[in-house]
Amino acid sequence: MSSADLPLHASVEVPPAISWTDRLHGWVATVDHKRLGVLYVASGLVFLLVGGSQASMMRMQLFYAGNDLLSPEVFNRFFTVHGTSMVFFVGMPLVIGIANYLLPLMIGARDMAFPRLNAWGFWMFLFGALLFYFSYVGADGLYGAGTAPDVGWFAYSPLTGKAFSRGNSTDYWVLGILVAGFGSISAAINMIATTLTMRCRGMTLGRMPLFVWMMLVVSWLILVAMGPLTAAQVMLLFDRFLGAHFFDTQAGGDAVLWQHFFWFFGHPEVYILIIPGFAYASEIIPVFSRKVIFGYPVMVAATCAIGLLSLGVWAHHMFVVGLGKGVTSWFVVATMLVGVPTGIKIFNWIGTIYGGKLHFRVPMLFCTAFLFQFLIAGLTGIMLAAAPFDWQLSDSYFVVAHFHYVLIGGLVFTIFAAIYYWFPKVTGRMLSERLGRWHFWLFVVGFQLTFTTMHAQGLLGMPRRIYTYSADRNWEIWNQITTTGVLFQALGIAVFVCAIFHALRRGEPAGDDPWNAWTLEWSTSSPPPEYNFAEEPEVKSRRPLWDLKHPDDPDWRHE
Amino acid sequence: MNEEQRHEATETPAQNPGQGIRLPAPTATPMLFALGLSMVFAGLVTHWLVSSVGALIAMAGAYGWWRQVLPHEQHVRVPLQDPEKRALPVEARVGAVDHLQLGEGGHRVRLPADMHPYTSGFRGGAAGAVAMALVAMTYGGLFQGSIWFPVNLLASLLVAPPAAGEAALRAFDVANLGIGLFIHASLSLLVGLVYAALLPMLPGRVALWGGVVAPCLWSAVAWTSLEVLSPEMAQHVQWGWFVVSQIAFGLAAGVVIERAERSQTMQTWPLALRAGLEAGGGEDA
Ligand SMILES: [Cu+2]
Repeated sequence: MSSADLPLHASVEVPPAISWTDRLHGWVATVDHKRLGVLYVASGLVFLLVGGSQASMMRMQLFYAGNDLLSPEVFNRFFTVHGTSMVFFVGMPLVIGIANYLLPLMIGARDMAFPRLNAWGFWMFLFGALLFYFSYVGADGLYGAGTAPDVGWFAYSPLTGKAFSRGNSTDYWVLGILVAGFGSISAAINMIATTLTMRCRGMTLGRMPLFVWMMLVVSWLILVAMGPLTAAQVMLLFDRFLGAHFFDTQAGGDAVLWQHFFWFFGHPEVYILIIPGFAYASEIIPVFSRKVIFGYPVMVAATCAIGLLSLGVWAHHMFVVGLGKGVTSWFVVATMLVGVPTGIKIFNWIGTIYGGKLHFRVPMLFCTAFLFQFLIAGLTGIMLAAAPFDWQLSDSYFVVAHFHYVLIGGLVFTIFAAIYYWFPKVTGRMLSERLGRWHFWLFVVGFQLTFTTMHAQGLLGMPRRIYTYSADRNWEIWNQITTTGVLFQALGIAVFVCAIFHALRRGEPAGDDPWNAWTLEWSTSSPPPEYNFAEEPEVKSRRPLWDLKHPDDPDWRHE
Repeated sequence: MNEEQRHEATETPAQNPGQGIRLPAPTATPMLFALGLSMVFAGLVTHWLVSSVGALIAMAGAYGWWRQVLPHEQHVRVPLQDPEKRALPVEARVGAVDHLQLGEGGHRVRLPADMHPYTSGFRGGAAGAVAMALVAMTYGGLFQGSIWFPVNLLASLLVAPPAAGEAALRAFDVANLGIGLFIHASLSLLVGLVYAALLPMLPGRVALWGGVVAPCLWSAVAWTSLEVLSPEMAQHVQWGWFVVSQIAFGLAAGVVIERAERSQTMQTWPLALRAGLEAGGGEDA
């Protein structure tokens, strides 16, 4: 034992009653990956409510043609803050937080490789988000009237130039994301190091849960994609503060350069957000089908393929710029190629379900809906990948429908699946099955009403980001169905919030392994002790708990 | 991972009885560092004082963090959980595990377990081509007064038909024969190949799929699209005979392919074998 242990030794034997300040200090000073994971997820869910409220307000504004519930300025800020929040302050923390909690448990480790860096990453994310939202009180916008950023979540040049975006609302957009982005990069480094160096005995790369594999690829993507965004944002800061002209077309700068930088980040970001969804589905679907995942090596290969291919498709967001025949064709073909590994995954999940003994508990319900919805998301993606189709529908509600199908129908549904699945592990209590079903059905109905109809509005020519429209465009009825769907989604979320509070107070005790699952996190107690495992586990196959439960027929005989 | 970390990650309670488990000590210094850095950036849009204070906080945080790991990493010892809270050992379930066998309960387990060699597809296609031609020529001879009628019609898919109309369709024409044979042979061989690949994956009777279902589907496709592909042909095709000739193709091709000896797919092989890194051997190969 080294001398460094001694000063803190006494603090271990804490009396049973802990004051709230001690408790708060415990959370602020924690370097435990599980507590940080909970902090990430909790803050992500809070920002989800905030971003959802902004979306609901926008939908109310669009309910009637010529409505004036929100002014154009407020509407612009809402869609900017909504988009930015959902990607950077909801998607990222949820994805990173869930991995933070589960990854060490799944590979049989006691913590992440860099526990303090882990804490730093979380606080950078939180302070970045708070700085961004501080713009509502701290920033001046165009004509001194604006507050929050209003340049859209991808903040195209030259709109972000000093001439068009006065005051400093755009600076808040840059700085908030910049700060949070450093946190994401640190989280990615941490996950890679943890996965590569902290695996327990016997946990070869080929025996890692697919969740861990997929988060490894996600970390790689964060590492590659986040840098260019940060660089571009620093360049934009130079433009805005020091009079540089990187993106200033009137002084020899290049506005399209910003688009390249942004989407070189922006497209991989889509995969950074959706591959974790694949990861949850790949853990949950086998357990509720009572079958081993179909095609494990192919799943790994497909994930790696997506990790590489998705780096070469960014300009499909820029077809309307006029990139020229050669470049356009390249990005059309490359984009369609991504459909191959993604399609393989969908087949593998179906192959897992096929012939299985299905248990449609709430996590599985959400995963089932995910399969259907993500399929549609992928198909509209292929449609939009065809450049001539995109020329027609770029910046229309069809595109809005497409990416909400990806990020809600794909990611949010699997996040709900993950929360229902792992909540018992985190808290030791089950979420109510009955409330969960209400949540699921309300949310499915709401989701379909809202986002399926958006395809129609897009095909009818309704551009995204308009704050109102005239009655003679025949868009009103579609918008009204869309907005009605929001009501169902909001009810679903309300049920979800109730389910969480209900479970925390009176939830059924979960036990160590409520789902009869197979990965290591279910071998420790619920909630796990601070040290995760008293003894380092040893695994012999991809399903260590299966081996223990079925000594007559362990997996390692077949793998 | 250095020696100390390795020790920390794997130390068991037995190695240090009564001491609990060593974990990294909690510290707020990363939070302070993050707060300071964020304030440095926030100063750009608020006031330079914010940046200055932020820089001080960041330095304090960074220094504190530094002291957390150097010269020695700070640890706490966390006592083991109360025994009643600890995870129960994973219990073995009673009862053996049933393994799905090939073909059991309609499950094929692997898709496909074995398949026909591709060459059988070509042979089947050729056999089908002959059968189909015989039926078509019979139809031509019986109802059109010329066995060349079908092949001329087929050739009209590629070359514009002569203005002379029906009389020309009944006459013998070397060029039309060549073109017709080319279309017929290439389509037949390709369809034969598709049959060879698909038949082992379809459940149930080969005769049903190859002889009836597939020809009917194909006929339906032709019926809906021929007007566009070749208006000339669409005008003259006798659909009953068309379907019969398709079925003749399907049956002939199906029988030839089905008779070919199946070979095992590589799906049961380990990756190294499939990749050609290891030579086959042992029981299965
Ligand atoms: Cu994209």
